[in-house]
Amino acid sequence: MIDRSELRALRIFLILDSEEDTLAFAISVQVKKTGNHMNATINHGTSKKSGLGIFWRFFSSVKLTIALLVILAAVSVIGTLIPQREGAIDFAMGMNPRLFQVFMSLNLFDIYHSLLFRIILGFLVMNLVVCSIDRFPVTWKLFSYIPSPDKSRIFQDIPTEQTCILSGNSKHILDRIEEFLHKRYGKVFSKKGDKYSSFFVQTGRFSRFGVYIVHFSILLILAGGLVGSLFGFEGYVNIVEGDKTDKIHVSGSRQQKNLGFEIRCDRFTVSYYKSGMPKEYKSEITFIVNGKDVKKGTLLVNHPLHFRGITFYQASYGTIPGKKIILRAVINGKSFSFPVSLQKSVPLPGNGGELLLEDIRDNLVGIGPAALISILPRHGEKISIWIFKNPALAKSRLPEPMLKSPKFNPSAFRPYTFFLEGVDTVYYTGLQVSKDPGVPIVWAGCVILVTGLFITFFMSHRRIWIRAENHKSGVRVRVAGMANRDPVGLRRHLFKLTDDLRKYVL
Amino acid sequence: MTSSTILSYVTFIYFTGFTLYLLMMVMGKKSFGTAATFVSLAGLVAHSVAIVLRWMESYQLGIGHAPLSNLYESLIFFSWTVTLFYLVVEWRTKNRVLGAFVMPISSLALAYASFSPSVNSRIQPLVPALKSNWLIAHVITCFFSYAAFALSFALSIIYLIKLKNQGAGRAGSFLNRIPDSRVLDELNYQIVIIGFLMLTLGIITGSVWAHSAWGTYWGWDPKETWSLITWLIYASVIHARIARGWEGKRIAVLCIVGFACVIFTYFGVNYLAGLHSYAKS
Repeated sequence: MIDRSELRALRIFLILDSEEDTLAFAISVQVKKTGNHMNATINHGTSKKSGLGIFWRFFSSVKLTIALLVILAAVSVIGTLIPQREGAIDFAMGMNPRLFQVFMSLNLFDIYHSLLFRIILGFLVMNLVVCSIDRFPVTWKLFSYIPSPDKSRIFQDIPTEQTCILSGNSKHILDRIEEFLHKRYGKVFSKKGDKYSSFFVQTGRFSRFGVYIVHFSILLILAGGLVGSLFGFEGYVNIVEGDKTDKIHVSGSRQQKNLGFEIRCDRFTVSYYKSGMPKEYKSEITFIVNGKDVKKGTLLVNHPLHFRGITFYQASYGTIPGKKIILRAVINGKSFSFPVSLQKSVPLPGNGGELLLEDIRDNLVGIGPAALISILPRHGEKISIWIFKNPALAKSRLPEPMLKSPKFNPSAFRPYTFFLEGVDTVYYTGLQVSKDPGVPIVWAGCVILVTGLFITFFMSHRRIWIRAENHKSGVRVRVAGMANRDPVGLRRHLFKLTDDLRKYVL
Repeated sequence: MTSSTILSYVTFIYFTGFTLYLLMMVMGKKSFGTAATFVSLAGLVAHSVAIVLRWMESYQLGIGHAPLSNLYESLIFFSWTVTLFYLVVEWRTKNRVLGAFVMPISSLALAYASFSPSVNSRIQPLVPALKSNWLIAHVITCFFSYAAFALSFALSIIYLIKLKNQGAGRAGSFLNRIPDSRVLDELNYQIVIIGFLMLTLGIITGSVWAHSAWGTYWGWDPKETWSLITWLIYASVIHARIARGWEGKRIAVLCIVGFACVIFTYFGVNYLAGLHSYAKS
């Protein structure tokens, strides 16, 4: 990609060296740019007024790139200030309805998936593609162009470290120089003369494509994201220990999705550090196909399980009431504790009748665990009572008429008073379920991105000229070069080259 | 815990370093500068020892992990990378003026870690989400980028000070000891490039980690989003400079905006709800 500094370099190229081929090349670059009406920085106002011309000029501008990057940043900021998706519910409830309408129509509660955001990304993609096509021919020229090995001006004012004098047979020395250059740089371009010989070598010319590599990787990452959103899904499922399911909830919708196989949670465990901080969440999972256990695995946070292209992650956990409670009955100051299972009846202590456990609730009307028991007395009618685990809280929270009702009075069946000692709970594991065929594309994009950045920022195209001329009883060698970036590195390179060359020839 | 005690002393060593750099700048005596470098280097050595000690202490507690797991440890590491990065730049450029602007950042980060009542310095075990090999790679790359951007921020401030006082420089004024503005500009750009590369690596390692922990490589969590915002700002700095030829003041201002984003990514995001909550306390 040609840029201003490169153009500056080109002009310096021109000034430094007036030999025809370089001049012709530099001019061809300029003409190319003017001729195509493509580069806004060089060529203002001469564009064709055709639709394509306007389109091309708009999308090939780096000003547009900068504007889009800043707009993208600004929109992202908005997305972090306004709660998004599920988090937006509370926020939206307290809003002015008119404002809410505006927010909804702009999709501000899901800004990163909104049309606006996609349009900006679309513009960025167009900008990237057009810029790349626009500038590629020039880069290609810079990449493939071989200047004349014979140059004069470039050797003016070179530091003494870039000069050395080698004594010996000049034919032999020239051969050794060429051999050395070939070993180190590959292809050597030379021009032999009576008075002096010239060589040209180059290194890192591939680095000119670094920018294209970076931009290609960005497109790849975006493509990976698109593939994921088109062909993948994201969902979640809660499975109670011992249960199995083949359906998951799809995130962001009310739909359920059939997996085509079943997952069973054999066991869920949480372990804690001494300080009480959670140490590990672990689910033992079995995948079942057509009723057969096909694969077993342990699911931990940071260690997902894969099955048939779908990945399962340990996301959350919780407890639900199990099927057993511990009940305590107090009769005339005497206390009896006993377990009762759901839908099972037990004889009441003190021979008062039968007790049936009808229902268990994790959190009844916000007062916590409660159990519904029915008493079938020996004589009289059936009485049903809700027993709260926390009777004090129930007393303060329940409205007056309910408190007076026998249905919420733990002493409604005289002379018994019931207490809910404990509710058996069972764990459920919360799994995040996702399928994203775009992931490998995104990872490939990331690797290419980093590689491209390294090439762009830390490598440079160095062109090196060497002139060897007869000097007294030997040969005087001078080394000079140019690079598209990092002049300090080039200098160091040339110093080392001169030194190594001297050592090699000796 | 010895490591925390050492670190609270290092705060003062860095502050002394800062004072010496400042004296060198104002009074123009080279000896102050040499002393400043030695003091800062000594601080860095003690700082490194403390980090290693803390790492060992965590193993003695039976919950061994790299000291990169909460706000306290991240501030310690941030301060360490900033000082290290600065001393490398000082050594490479042979100029000490930057020290007077960077050392206060190192010292402040440590002071906040050591003396703020809201920052807990206890060594805590890792919660399940942090138990990953990606923790070290992610935190190190991110904090190297933060350190680079902190340096770029300091350079931009110096650049603007120099620009504002241009022509007013009396003989012997500290302004004369500031390198040429073109040198500052070039150095700033080089450092931004390193920071940008590190931030890119930090975001990538973070998303690889998120993919294995949360099932998605990009979830628009506020911290993720703000790191992207920072990345976009520095990407525009690089484009403005390479392709539009922006230099000097405009780049300096953009770099200051960029560092504000870094600070918000680091601290401000904690005020927004999100998944990165372990970095809060």
